[in-house]
Amino acid sequence: MSKIVILGAGISGHVAASHLRRKLDKTHEVVVVSPNSNYQWIPSNIWVGIGRMKSKEILFPLAPLYKKKGIGFKQAKVTSFYPEGDNETEKPFVVAEYVSTEKRGETERITYDYLINATGPKLNFEATEGLNPGTNKAYSVCTYTHADHANEGLRALIAEMKKGNEAKIVIGTGHAKATCQGAAFEYILNVEQELRRQKVRDKAKITWISNEYELGDFGMDGMLLSYGSNIMKSHEMVEMVFEDRGIDWILGAGVNKIEDGLAHYETLNGEHKTIDYDFAMLIPSFSGHGFKAFDKNNNDITDKLFKGFMIVDADYTPKPYEDWTVQDWPETYQNPSYKNIFAPGIAFAPPHSISKPRKSPNGTEIFPSPPRTGMPSGITAKLVADNIIDSIKNKKESLHHKGSMGNMGAACIASAGFGMTKGSGVSITTFPIVPDYKKYPDTMGRKLGKTFGEIGLAGHWLKLMLHYAFIYKAKMKPFWYLIPE
Amino acid sequence: MTKRISKFKRFVMMNPIIQFFKFIFLSLKVLLIVAGGHGSTREVHK
Repeated sequence: MSKIVILGAGISGHVAASHLRRKLDKTHEVVVVSPNSNYQWIPSNIWVGIGRMKSKEILFPLAPLYKKKGIGFKQAKVTSFYPEGDNETEKPFVVAEYVSTEKRGETERITYDYLINATGPKLNFEATEGLNPGTNKAYSVCTYTHADHANEGLRALIAEMKKGNEAKIVIGTGHAKATCQGAAFEYILNVEQELRRQKVRDKAKITWISNEYELGDFGMDGMLLSYGSNIMKSHEMVEMVFEDRGIDWILGAGVNKIEDGLAHYETLNGEHKTIDYDFAMLIPSFSGHGFKAFDKNNNDITDKLFKGFMIVDADYTPKPYEDWTVQDWPETYQNPSYKNIFAPGIAFAPPHSISKPRKSPNGTEIFPSPPRTGMPSGITAKLVADNIIDSIKNKKESLHHKGSMGNMGAACIASAGFGMTKGSGVSITTFPIVPDYKKYPDTMGRKLGKTFGEIGLAGHWLKLMLHYAFIYKAKMKPFWYLIPE
Repeated sequence: MTKRISKFKRFVMMNPIIQFFKFIFLSLKVLLIVAGGHGSTREVHK
């Protein structure tokens, strides 16, 4: 009988655990190891960050659900991997340190037959000097606690503006290689709408700061999309929205230092500049967790498993940007050295960026890292779970389920304001996520029709519906599995 | 602030009746794109 250990209980880890438990009988063990006690639906953090949703509405405790469903749960963080076991333990295992109050500091060797590393990213705030959520007037919405702090900061600022004081707001990326521009894009539009709702919009100067070369890059090199009867580039669409909302923008900016109300950044032409602010929300860079790996003789084999994030079935050969192909991207998320280890979601090391790499004359790389959040996280986790299920049931390795981000669609339903009648959303779908320039040479690597944009109230309703649908699914309520990833 | 969205367009974007139909259309389209399958790229180009 098999034991499947899943590291992480975010979108990816939770999806994998849910499907494994549903499809495997109870003789097989499914264990989730996560330092977080709650599941959180991260896309709705945006609304927590403007005070239109309470953090308790986007989360629920994992332990009772896992107990009810027969999924083992250890509230612990993994520190090292032993994919060959060692002298004491024959089976492969991971070492985890408990963080729960009752077992804090205790370590345990957790053995496995299959391991799913769904640990996502480390929010690497320390990569930008002074960037620490809630300090220096800079905030984050990456977790619900960060979003709560951001909302408190925003409320205090609005109170000042109601007294007649003017304010400068800066929202965007807080590092030269940050990703997740979509979240910052949503937040800036929601903040702008909230200021209008509070009747203080005229008191605020709002600026978008980003490492993107063009607006609407989103770490995906932008896209050509159909918008109504028009075909336009994503930068034209975002430019239209920003201009209409009176939002200024600074592009090609690698933020490198934050002081109290002051952001330092380097531009793509090598200049070092600053921008002052009264409130900032800056997305940090993402990095791997710094895990260590050892073979059975205790030799360090971290390089076999990790390249920052986990190594999977991608082509990591260094080559010029012009030689990159969609085939470089992984399809099964299996580690090539240890076939029983998988890394879906953000935990896998991407072979290269999707956006064109750019450097300032000073040698600083300033461009977005590739996004793997949201839908791709769920889809890749499910296919990993399906391959493991097939392998267990067939008693031999089975990798029939494949899902390259170069042959996968995604929808980014970006909230542009909250409210059943006053809300708005910018809905963008893209197919494929990683552009396939051979298959779609005339449309910037993407299929038109499947890559489209829409702006309006319906987008808000759609995002709200997804919020409730995915929380329902995550709680594994009746027929949850009918809701696609 | 530069007016980039016309009055008519804004009306269409915010009219609940028009947007209700748009919501149905968007939901189905997103479902088709996302649940419409995914797969390999390496085999496609062989």
